[in-house]
Amino acid sequence: METLKDAFDFRDFSKTERIVFGLFTLFLLIFPWLGAGSFVKVVLIQFLLFSLFGMGWNTIGGYGGQVELGKAQYVGIGAYTVALMMVWWNIPFWVSMPMGVLIAIGYSFIIGYPLFRLKGHYFAIATICTSLVLQDVFINWKLVGAAKGIEIPIREQPDFLYMQFKSDTYYYYFIMIFFFVAILYMNGFRKSKLGYQLRMIKDDEEAAESLGIDARWCKIKAYSIASAFVAVGGGFLTVYNFYIDPYSVMDLDLSIKIALMAMLGGAGSLWGPIIGAAFLVPLDRFLGSWLGGHKGLVGLDFMIYSTLIMFVSAYQPRGIWGIIEQFRRKGA
Amino acid sequence: MVDLVKDFGGLVANNRVSFHINQGEIIGLIGPNGAGKTTLFNCIVGYHKPGSGRVIFKGKDITGFKPFMTNREGIGRTFQLMKVTTGMNVLENVMIGAFCRTDHRSTAKKEAAEILEFLGLGEVKEYHLNELPIASQKKVGLARALATKPELLMLDEVASGLNPKETEELVNAIKRIHAERKITLILIEHIMEVVMPISQRVIVLDSGEKIAEGLPTEIVKIERVIKAYLGEKYAKGL
Repeated sequence: METLKDAFDFRDFSKTERIVFGLFTLFLLIFPWLGAGSFVKVVLIQFLLFSLFGMGWNTIGGYGGQVELGKAQYVGIGAYTVALMMVWWNIPFWVSMPMGVLIAIGYSFIIGYPLFRLKGHYFAIATICTSLVLQDVFINWKLVGAAKGIEIPIREQPDFLYMQFKSDTYYYYFIMIFFFVAILYMNGFRKSKLGYQLRMIKDDEEAAESLGIDARWCKIKAYSIASAFVAVGGGFLTVYNFYIDPYSVMDLDLSIKIALMAMLGGAGSLWGPIIGAAFLVPLDRFLGSWLGGHKGLVGLDFMIYSTLIMFVSAYQPRGIWGIIEQFRRKGA
Repeated sequence: MVDLVKDFGGLVANNRVSFHINQGEIIGLIGPNGAGKTTLFNCIVGYHKPGSGRVIFKGKDITGFKPFMTNREGIGRTFQLMKVTTGMNVLENVMIGAFCRTDHRSTAKKEAAEILEFLGLGEVKEYHLNELPIASQKKVGLARALATKPELLMLDEVASGLNPKETEELVNAIKRIHAERKITLILIEHIMEVVMPISQRVIVLDSGEKIAEGLPTEIVKIERVIKAYLGEKYAKGL
């Protein structure tokens, strides 16, 4: 009960933060009626999706301080569960998506249990490896389409049960709901016992253990929560793209993007992953479409993109949100 | 109720150290550098596994328990060096200790505030650790351990790095913890001014072995203790 109240309680944020968040919510709600082009709509859907991923990653990576670079495997689990259940048994999205989340949680416990014996760099490397192994399995597994991937059957009529719509607007609102649910969840999470314990583990694991905190178990729990979050996003990717393959949903590139956005925005804060996604997704998309089209300039967008990331992280390791807080404290 | 038996066969740091602590006692654990005080300490709270021997707490064998398990059994500890972290303020730090026994944030917050008030830290609860002097940081460490509601509290060189006035204040705080909260205390200490006035019993370690045990006033008269720790000069001065 207390947790539920905490989730809806934004009072400990400053007035400015609440106003900005309120305006931003309003913008998201009315955005489809502003007459923006389909490209902008796609960018915004991507932004919401990556915010969702980032917020999930933030539990273990931000609050728990563990450099986790294997989230793509759970995106993949979520995506494949939805796709396969739809192709094989014609099961609606609203059944298969929760199944995907459950499988992701189960799998994360199996992977997390040995993984969290490791610390620091070794842990980071191990997360990459587990993700790569799963990707390789799916690339070579004939039953699930191997490297060719799977297409989900397209229905003649738009169908809410199977989440198939003609217009992107529906997908937009659909992912937006998940986005807000995620914000509420994270708002409760940061004030929960687990949230506090993770922050202590991040600060000083030895001291955390002396305060009765089972560090390994806490990390596994946070890791599972993060996995559940990204599995939801994975399920969405399937119904949104109608097609998945191991390269698009399980790539190392995706894992790194998830972690990078959250870190750049500000790991360990509620707004961080959202800011990171709001910054990097459009940058990535617009630079890509703008520069990628010119001959001789291909690749330049990646250079600009990575230079910006380097500058921000060199200036303030706690990311963009860290910079904002730094200025606020100076002003106060 | 608290019953500690400890043997370490073949272990260099601690060789067949065994002692017994009664509930409500204050024990001072002293010895020269490298005597194995910290190793002994770590074996009890679970950071090291003893090579052999047993640790028995309240009649329960807790040998080889992990640190978080010994804490849940009722053993709290403080650190010699408090890692200065910027992530959380003082109140939140202490709340994490309180979360050891409760799941509710409001309960944890209330308990943490009480303990901070008790130790005279009520005014700094919104501050971050790096904004506080070292004496207050040490007290926060104490408060954090207290918040886990220990029955046995082990203090690792609480007075190191403090000036005489701060030391005196801390000693008073420890006395009050003992008097009002009925907690058994083990102090690992270099500074005699801390150990002697509050300890009811002192255990002296040297080269991993227990060389003496007794009242503070008696211990300073034992020749072996003088030789190993207090120094010949100090002894002649007596």
